[in-house]
Parts: sequence; structure tokens; C-alpha cells
Amino acid sequence: MSDGSTRSDGGVQSDRHEPELTRGPFQRWVQKSIKDPKRVYRAMFYVATLFFLVTTLFPFYFLLVLAVTPDTGSLAVLPQLSTLEFGVFLDVFDRINFLRYMLNSVVLALSTTAIVLFLASLAGYVFGRLEFPGRQPLMLLILAISYFPPAAFFVPLYQLFTGNVVNGLSLYNTPGAMILPFSSLFMPLSIFILTTFYGQIPDGLEDAARVEGTTRLGALFRVIVPLSAPGVATAGVLTFIAVYNEFFFSQLMNNGQPENWAPIVGGLLSLQRAGQFEVTYGVMAAGSIIAVIPVAILVVVAQEKIVSGLTSGALKE
Amino acid sequence: MSTEHRTGDAPESGDRGLYASVVSWMENLSETQYAYLLLTPAFLLLGAIAFWPLLSTFRLSMFADSFGQASVGNFIGLGNYVAIITGERSALLPSPFLPEALTTRAFFNSALAVTVIFTVISVFFETIIGFVQALVLDQEFRGRRWVRVAIILPWAIPIVVQGMIFYLMFQPNIGFLVGTSDNPAFLNQLGLLSTTPLANAQDATMIAIVADVWKTTAFMALLILAGMQSIDRGLYDVAKVAGASAWQRFKYVTFPIILPTVMVAMLFRTIQAMRVYGLIETVSGCTTVPSLSCLVVTTFNNRMLGSSATIAFITAAIIAVAVSVYIVGYVRGGQ
Repeated sequence: MSDGSTRSDGGVQSDRHEPELTRGPFQRWVQKSIKDPKRVYRAMFYVATLFFLVTTLFPFYFLLVLAVTPDTGSLAVLPQLSTLEFGVFLDVFDRINFLRYMLNSVVLALSTTAIVLFLASLAGYVFGRLEFPGRQPLMLLILAISYFPPAAFFVPLYQLFTGNVVNGLSLYNTPGAMILPFSSLFMPLSIFILTTFYGQIPDGLEDAARVEGTTRLGALFRVIVPLSAPGVATAGVLTFIAVYNEFFFSQLMNNGQPENWAPIVGGLLSLQRAGQFEVTYGVMAAGSIIAVIPVAILVVVAQEKIVSGLTSGALKE
Repeated sequence: MSTEHRTGDAPESGDRGLYASVVSWMENLSETQYAYLLLTPAFLLLGAIAFWPLLSTFRLSMFADSFGQASVGNFIGLGNYVAIITGERSALLPSPFLPEALTTRAFFNSALAVTVIFTVISVFFETIIGFVQALVLDQEFRGRRWVRVAIILPWAIPIVVQGMIFYLMFQPNIGFLVGTSDNPAFLNQLGLLSTTPLANAQDATMIAIVADVWKTTAFMALLILAGMQSIDRGLYDVAKVAGASAWQRFKYVTFPIILPTVMVAMLFRTIQAMRVYGLIETVSGCTTVPSLSCLVVTTFNNRMLGSSATIAFITAAIIAVAVSVYIVGYVRGGQ
């Protein structure tokens, strides 16, 4: 490979002098590639890209085909359009209160995001901009939480929320039973992202605002936060996605009924369980597609934020 | 939040007097006092919903299981840990903690073994594939934005949908991946899959691994990509001038520089893979593939609170061991 690249100029020239032999297109391609290895890398690149596109998108395509193929028909990789039924997407809403499940998920995700952004802003400001004794140990303490599996918090929280620890305090089947664990478990990531962003604002800007008579908190919320808007958006998008996708507490902190604030986890699992008595695979697939739509839109709109947030938050340590 | 304008005029009403006194109290705090004041709300939440449950779980793990009215039995110190780690408790648990024999079947039925198998295999493939994805995304080409969206999309979908996709794909009568004994599909003919893969511990674990690799490779790829893009392009020019081939440039420039990033990414994925629960619960149910987190929930449902808390803490301890292995490796690699 190495000598191929060094004499690549010569290779092109000799190609012209060479008499065209009768070669197949593949042999010609191989011949050219030997002279110019860059073509091989290019080809490998296209093959790899295509491979990843197919492997990541195929499961979604499978869901779609499964959803629109009628129960009586058999599944084909390329189904005929005339045999498809799109009514299944409406069926999902008829069979169960899927709209309510979706709404619950969005409400839980939005309220957790609001709480996390507010608390993490205060903490991120402190860790990013203030010098005080105990800064390092406290940051490590917060980091330590993210190492524990959700299962390690589960039993006491379940007892707390079912009113077995403090009498009369029963949050099971209410949004609080999910928002509180979500907030505390997803807050560390936001704190680290915001610490990075808030730490980058020059001191002079904050000082100028303070000289003009802004209060300490005012300087945080009217100078630091607006100047770090991309960071706040990043933390918000990641928190929203994390909550929307969460499984553990979403399943275990309610009884799975939509009126008890069960999010889409409850909806899809109830479809799956109903499937044991009556085959409704098409409906399950349709429900899954509908559930993906909000995050799919978010990924398309905010992909830069997701990429920067994941990398800055995770590589911070 | 009381961040309204205060234009400098003196406080007039009592309401405003209170606000002004709060503000001036805040202005007069030292930096340390102010720092702790702002951290209070976050730590109140973490204290109640994170630190207290952890300590409480630890305390619970010191009490025997109770099969009567009371929620827990007598204080037995570390008795639960001893009973579970030695396998003495296995007969009472919904699934054994350790493999009960040295057969493949026993390994896939044991919570510890199946979790380790799941973690090691999925993190291994995620690292390799994530690396290649990062190399692809590192190129400049038209449509890169959309390729990146396609690669991130599986990462962003709910766990329950991920589980549902693979549950449906490997469902015997609908997917084309699983046939019947009369009409075996390709994977059945190869002997890779039984005709009821979701009820078979070994097949279901492999399906969960494929599902995990499909969903979380993107995370690996993005972190590795960030590492690649932080490399000073000048280093490549130097290497080229020195006559290094593309492979040598990769081996001596790219690889050593991004190795720490890869380790951090692997650490994060390992922590997450060790906690696997939702994916397994949706794909095959916790009785078929008893991961450690699954076992915490199933023992809890059997009202064995002491055992449940103990397994939760053993899981946390295993994660801590994995974390320290990476940290030691990281420190050694950094020297």
C-alpha cells in the first residue's frame, strides 16, 4: 500500500501508454485500484456507509411493513402497495388510550426537564464559576450517583411512594413518583454539561452586570444562562430524550393504567400482553412507530446539540 | 425565581421590604456561603431521592427475608451477601445468582453469568462497530448530516420500542427470521436459532445483545468521533512527510490519541450494560433471561426484600469493580 501511494503519479501516466486489453469492468477497476489505493478506501467507505444505513434503518422499515400488512397477509420484504392497510395507526388509539399514554410521557419528560434545568443551572453555576472548599468532593459525590443501577434505589423509593415510610405520603400512580427519581438520576449529566458551559463565560461579563446593579441571582439568570443558551438547550434535549426513553421507573412506579400517569412503556406493554390472547402484532408495530415520532423529530432538529452534549458531558468526568 | 428588576429605588411596601432584605442578605454572603446556598435545592433532591434510598437499600440488605406479615425479618448483618454469593440462597431465588453447573444452560440461567456475558459481548461489538462508524462520520461527504441522523436514531428511541422491535422480529409466526420446524428460516438452518428463540435463554440473550448493539453503538461512535476530531491535523501531515502509509498513520497517530476516549466510552457503556432490565423485560421477559437488575425486581415481587436489596448492592459493587478496572487501565495508559 505504501509504495502504491508514493508512485501514484507515475501510475496514472503509464496507464495511458498501456494498450487497452479486453478486460471486464471489475478487472479494470481492480487494475486502477492497484495503481491508486485511494479508490479502494473510497469504495470501502461507500460500502461501510451503505451497510450502516441498512442496519440502522432496517428495523424501522420492518416495523412499518409489519404495521401496514393486514393480519391475514404474509410479510414480504417489498410488499405490494395495494394490499396495505394504513387504518392500523388509528386502531392503536381505539384499542387503548394511546393518546393519553403519549401525553403522559411528554408531560413527564417536559416537567422533569424543567426541574433538572433549574436545579442544574444553580449547581452548574456554582461548580463552573465559584471557588469554595468542598467543590471537588461534592462533584465526585454527584458523579458517584450515576454509577449506581436504578435497581439500587428501587425498593426504598417504592416503599416511600406507596406510603410505607411516611404515612399519608403516597405518590404511587402519580406523576411525582416518576418525576422525582427521573430528576435526581438524570440531573448529574446536566450538571456536568452546564458546569462546562457556564465556566466558559468570561468573568468580565458577569462583573459588568453586577456593577450595573444586578443581583447575584439576576446575573446568573439574565447574563450567564442566556449566554450559554446552546448549553442549556443541549442539557434540555438530552434530559427530555432520557426521560422519554426511560424504562425502569416508568414501568415500576405506576400500575400501567393511562389514568394513573403510565407513560408509553405502559401502553406498549399492555398491547404486548393483550397480544397473548389475540394476535395484534400489527397494532404493536404501529404503536411503536407512533411512539418514536417525537424523538425522531427531535433528533433531526437537534442532532448537533445531541452530539455536542453527549461528548462534552461524557468526556468531562 | 425572584429575579425581577430592582431599579435602585428604596423599598416601599412590606412585600418589597422582604424582597430587598432577602437580596441584601444574599449579596452579603461570602462566596462559600453563596455556593452552598445555591447547591441546597439540588442536594435536597439528591439526598431524598438518591442518597437516602442507597443507604436504606444497604440497611435493608442486612435483614433476613420475611415470608410473614412484617416486611423484613431479623437483622443478620452480612448474612444475605454470604448466602447469595456462595449460592446457598439460589434455590429460593426466582433464578440462581451463580451458575449451578458448568453447562452452557446453567450459565444462561444464572443472573451473574448472563449479565457478564451480555455486557462483555455487547460492549466488545459496540466498540468495534462504533469505531468503524466514527471513521465513516469523520469523512467529509454530501449527505453526512443524514447519515449521522440515521446512525443516532436507534440511540434516541425508547427502550420499550427497541425491545418491541426485536420481540416482533424474532416472534415465530410473523418475522422471516424465525421459521417453524417444517419450514426453517435461514438462521434456523444454520443452527443459530431455535424455532422459539424468545423462550430459550441462550437465544434470547443473543437477541438482546444484537438489540443492544443496534441501539447503543451510536453512543460509542459519537464519543470516538469527538476524540478523532480533536486530533491536530498537523500530526498527519508530519506523518505523511515521514512516509507513513495510511495504516501506519492510523496505528501510530490516530489510535494512541483516541485510546483514552475509547476507554471512557467503554466504561460508560459497561456501566449501562450491567444494569440492563427494560430491554430484556420487553424482548423475552425476566424469567427467560435473568439479568441482575431483573433479579432485583423478581425477588422484590416475591416479597424477598432483604435478598432484593442485597442483589442490588452486589450489582452496584460489580459495577464499581468494573469502573476501577477501567480507571487503573486509564491511569496506566496515561503514563
